[in-house]
Amino acid sequence: MNISELMQGKMISVDLDASTRDDCIEKLIQNMMAEGYVTDMAAYREAVYEREGKGTTGVGFGFAIPHGKSSGIKKAGLAFAHLKTPIEWNSFDGKPVSIVFLIGVPDKDTGNEHLKILIALSKQIMHEDFQNKIFNAKTNEEVLEILEAI
Amino acid sequence: MVSKEVELLNKLGFHMRPAQLFMEKVNEYNSTVLVSRDGNEKIDASSILGLLTLGIEKGDKFIIEVSGGDEVEALGGLLELVNSKFGED
Repeated sequence: MNISELMQGKMISVDLDASTRDDCIEKLIQNMMAEGYVTDMAAYREAVYEREGKGTTGVGFGFAIPHGKSSGIKKAGLAFAHLKTPIEWNSFDGKPVSIVFLIGVPDKDTGNEHLKILIALSKQIMHEDFQNKIFNAKTNEEVLEILEAI
Repeated sequence: MVSKEVELLNKLGFHMRPAQLFMEKVNEYNSTVLVSRDGNEKIDASSILGLLTLGIEKGDKFIIEVSGGDEVEALGGLLELVNSKFGED
């Protein structure tokens, strides 16, 4: 799956200023809203926080993949952020988070797109080469190029 | 070593939350747990990312392989978790 197709303009932030996990999630939701992926911000936000409440989405290596399935999402989308300063995410390996992928999928996710996006991201995050490339990407174009190539 | 092939029953597949519960269950025991499907590479179940990369969907079968002092209990606990659909639909 080409996950770069799930991202548009504002949904990529290479230098996001967020002081906490919630601050980061809020900004990414707003970016998805700005690109027309979110139709009901409150509903989507609730889904994302409900998921966070069940256990951390900090998957390790400085990455977090918060996600929500909601009627407030128009079409599957992925928002990216490289944070200006790493933040605490209660990650599995205890490391603070620098890279965040926020997934949004519609309530009626018939093709199990949510799982496909998770698998595609997980496969990459495990590799040190991908970790380094993403950490070093300085522009939106560079981020997209890396994600297009996977 | 003990192993068993199981079928994933929950509708949404082996997404992050089931992977997390599976990993937590693995950590309750001392044994080493490997998971594989279709004869592919065996994944260490102590890694949530590793588990996610298996891409197991509802109806898919996969093999849980456990080795260690409490392998029988560990396999039993993991089978129970999978068969409970991880508390989902």
